[in-house]
Amino acid sequence: MEKINLGVIGLGFIGKVHLRNCLNLKSVRVVAAADSSKKALNYARNFGVKQLFTDYNELLKLKDLDAIIIALPTHLHAECAIKAMEEGKHVFLEKPIARNVEEGQKIVSASKKNCVKFMVGYPLRFVPEFVNLKSQMESGILGDIQLAYGVNIAAGPFFHRAESTIPRPVPEWWLNKELTGGGVLVDLGCHMINLLRWYFGEVTDVKARLGYRFNFDFEDYATCIMDFEFGASAVVNVGWFSQSTAVGIELFGTMSHAKAYFSPSSKVVTAIKLIIGRTPKFFIPYLKEISHFVDYIRDDDGENRLLGEDALRDLEVIAKAYKNQVK
Amino acid sequence: MSLVGLVECKTRNVDSIKRAVREAFRLIDYSLPKVEKIVIKPNMCYYWDWSTGQTTDPLFVAALISLFREEISPDVKISIVESDASAMKCKYAFKYLGYEKLAKNCNVDLVNLSIVEAEKAAVRVADEFFEFMIPKIIREADLCVNVPKMKYMSFTKISAALKNIYGCNPYPKKFEYHSKLDKVIVALNKVMPFDLHVLDGLTVCGSKISRLGLVMASQDPVAIDAVAAKIMGVNPKSVAHLVLAEKEGLGKTSFVIKGVDIDFFRKRFPKRSLSERVIMLGYRVACKLGLDKRLV
Repeated sequence: MEKINLGVIGLGFIGKVHLRNCLNLKSVRVVAAADSSKKALNYARNFGVKQLFTDYNELLKLKDLDAIIIALPTHLHAECAIKAMEEGKHVFLEKPIARNVEEGQKIVSASKKNCVKFMVGYPLRFVPEFVNLKSQMESGILGDIQLAYGVNIAAGPFFHRAESTIPRPVPEWWLNKELTGGGVLVDLGCHMINLLRWYFGEVTDVKARLGYRFNFDFEDYATCIMDFEFGASAVVNVGWFSQSTAVGIELFGTMSHAKAYFSPSSKVVTAIKLIIGRTPKFFIPYLKEISHFVDYIRDDDGENRLLGEDALRDLEVIAKAYKNQVK
Repeated sequence: MSLVGLVECKTRNVDSIKRAVREAFRLIDYSLPKVEKIVIKPNMCYYWDWSTGQTTDPLFVAALISLFREEISPDVKISIVESDASAMKCKYAFKYLGYEKLAKNCNVDLVNLSIVEAEKAAVRVADEFFEFMIPKIIREADLCVNVPKMKYMSFTKISAALKNIYGCNPYPKKFEYHSKLDKVIVALNKVMPFDLHVLDGLTVCGSKISRLGLVMASQDPVAIDAVAAKIMGVNPKSVAHLVLAEKEGLGKTSFVIKGVDIDFFRKRFPKRSLSERVIMLGYRVACKLGLDKRLV
């Protein structure tokens, strides 16, 4: 089968993860990469990417490109995704889909208008523990799920490199609410809302309490209370305040309870695997989502587990949560 | 031999910290001079707040400010200084770490040394000359107070008083100095000698985070670092910048402890295990071989 020609736009942390993963996929050829930083482009060059651009518009003009992975700062999502779609490229866009619902709608419309395939990256949907938990729930063994608890606590932008002890610079856009569209509720909340909507269907009501430990004008922790159309209620805690990561879901049904947590391997193991060219555990859900995207592109009738509309719904829930704040 | 005062502070509040600092000053026979302008340099290496043990607790600095106002004058002008670094910008660190709130509550200035007036100064360390821009605010201060943390560092083994002055260098791309870090640390301490060093060891980061409750003071940055190294289970003579600092006349690695016995804190400090030390060594080797470029 012919390989899909891919371009990667944005080589920050997640962009580099996608690049490394794509290089390990037999069904993909990484043709080009774009980033405003020459240092980031050197990273791609060292992994054999030949065509490198500081301006992504140049990359989009390449005729032999089938699809684009966009891992840019959130405020650039709409502009870049729409341009790529207008050039007839299929688009994989990092979450959140956009800064706000309006921008998200424009992206979804552009994908339809230009008849290109579009997927938003939600790696937790590909974590085996969360997939298995859903199967458990659907098998009925837990009875009827009444309550759920979701947690996604990490250091957010203020984290060590996944595998080292040296602090990494925080790109300034992370600290500007206008550019991100919000704080942790957008960044990590969208993961959990997406996952819970996958489990329980649409959100019928949502309230949020926001916290500001680090004195910025965006929330660095938040609690959401949500009701779902299938009758379950959930509490979700998200935070950017901890050097220790906790990502999990707990389900409480009428017959039994179950939980699933995602825990990547230690920094040392991650570092060793990266140095010797192996895929660390943290990368695997990202690898699976890109693999899914490639299958979706190849198969005209293929299923897309993460449609743009789906990501748009998450943003709508977040917008409602910001509106329905509990003091 | 230099005096180093060690005091235990069990509670994290301004009054308790102030009492402990006052006691530490008494133990080293230090009286606060009647001055007009004070500069305080906390450790704000990154956007990790006091609870991580990596950065100076703003409550600790608040206690110092309160003490200075009581002992010197309510009108003494106090500035808290820090500079931009490779991975950290002051304007965010001041906010994130709670120093903006502190400045407002205590009526002190926050100064980003990377954007204030500075003068060039040259200094020789061993066989090498260095040139740095020295912020005027430090040069003109009547009393410079260093408020470091104590922690392990991959390239210098430990970071305490001497290493904290590295953050007074206004040049933001500090990673460029990493190949000669020991000499640069000593050079900066030579061109910007601080008068007093008060170490915030309330919460420390070793192999894990611990509420050590240590307040340590000395006028000798080498001696206080030597004590910090011993508490952390590191031989001071194996720390290159400490040995060099002593050679360059910045202080003495021999010390006299006053107050709580060093063993009290040494037993409680969460020291690195052998495997952790091996990992750090491995990381340094990987960096030297350029393998870190393969990381994300």
